[in-house]
Amino acid sequence: MKDRAAFDLLYRQTSAKLFGVCLRVLKDRGEAEEALQEVFVKIWTKADRFAVSDLSPISWLVAIARNHAIDRIRARREPAAYIDAALEVADPAPGPEAAAVAGGESERIYRCLDELEKDRAAAVRGAYLDGESYAELAARHDVPLNTMRTWLRRSLLKLRECLER
Amino acid sequence: MTLEEDNGPEPGGDDLFAAEYVLGVLAADEREIASRRIDADAAFARLVDAWEAHLSPMAGAYPETEPPIRVKEAIDRQLFVAEPRAGLWSSLAFWRGLAAASVAALAITIAVPYLNPPVEQPRLVASLAADGSDVRYLAVYDAAHREVGLSHVSGERAAGKDFELWMIEGKNAPVSIGVIPAGQTAHMTISPAVQEKLARGAVLAVSLEPAGGSPTGQPTGPVVAAGDLKSI
Repeated sequence: MKDRAAFDLLYRQTSAKLFGVCLRVLKDRGEAEEALQEVFVKIWTKADRFAVSDLSPISWLVAIARNHAIDRIRARREPAAYIDAALEVADPAPGPEAAAVAGGESERIYRCLDELEKDRAAAVRGAYLDGESYAELAARHDVPLNTMRTWLRRSLLKLRECLER
Repeated sequence: MTLEEDNGPEPGGDDLFAAEYVLGVLAADEREIASRRIDADAAFARLVDAWEAHLSPMAGAYPETEPPIRVKEAIDRQLFVAEPRAGLWSSLAFWRGLAAASVAALAITIAVPYLNPPVEQPRLVASLAADGSDVRYLAVYDAAHREVGLSHVSGERAAGKDFELWMIEGKNAPVSIGVIPAGQTAHMTISPAVQEKLARGAVLAVSLEPAGGSPTGQPTGPVVAAGDLKSI
């Protein structure tokens, strides 16, 4: 089947990246495997959506995987246990991430993150990479939820202003 | 785009809501609202898209991890079994993941072709690779925009060299689509003649050429990646 060969290629080239996304957000291998399965089914049945996107194919695929994994953690019922698990696994240090990064676009966003206050940049990274919610970030940084909301909204606008500069 | 925007309740409201959705900080119910709006409201979907594009370089920090083979086997059963329904019915994970939002999205996906009958444009994807080369590109041919989107997966060009993209149809001589700009992604516009052939499923190939592209109009260096366009 021709379609199937195309799918096999797509899977071979992208599954490791998308699995990395699911693992980092879900922090549970079994759940990440289930999520990856759902993500590829979604991609294959919703590929027409790509028409309206300016994203590169791989960024589009990563966005689908990220959003799916985040929807899954939000649907979990035991938030307290989850926060503990996230604290154990989350690595707030920028070192390994920055090291894994290559290419101008990534350098640029890290440079722009550096323009933010340190804890706010860490909150932006934690939210993006680990899918942490306002509630979780507020608890971790020990600030009221609305303060966290204001922090991140301002940070996002500053970030965009820097990226568009 | 001043800081005033997040002071008032409404100015910048949609923009910031889109940003928060992309960042991933919203609660489950807010995410569901956002996800429905993406499906129903093209202007909101564009805001989300713009934020995805802004923030996506951060995704470079996700490490690649090979998933176990059982995941691929489960997907194959779900997508390609002769009676796909049986696969779906029997997949507990599928039903568990099928939240209300997905049902709404699915309904719209199905409805859209009937609402907009004339614009069914072909979309083709090719994975470009070759034995003995670590150069990999993922190519998506977008007929509506007359362009080939390329995503660089791996492999570097040698110093003073460029990658050039070719379209090969049957036994005909390769036709250059152009030198691939350096970077993670590239969009290459294609001529109507090439477009017609691509729509029929030609082969795309990447060759290593002197900086600036082949001086002869035909590939002069090794083909470092190639693949068939297949419809998705």
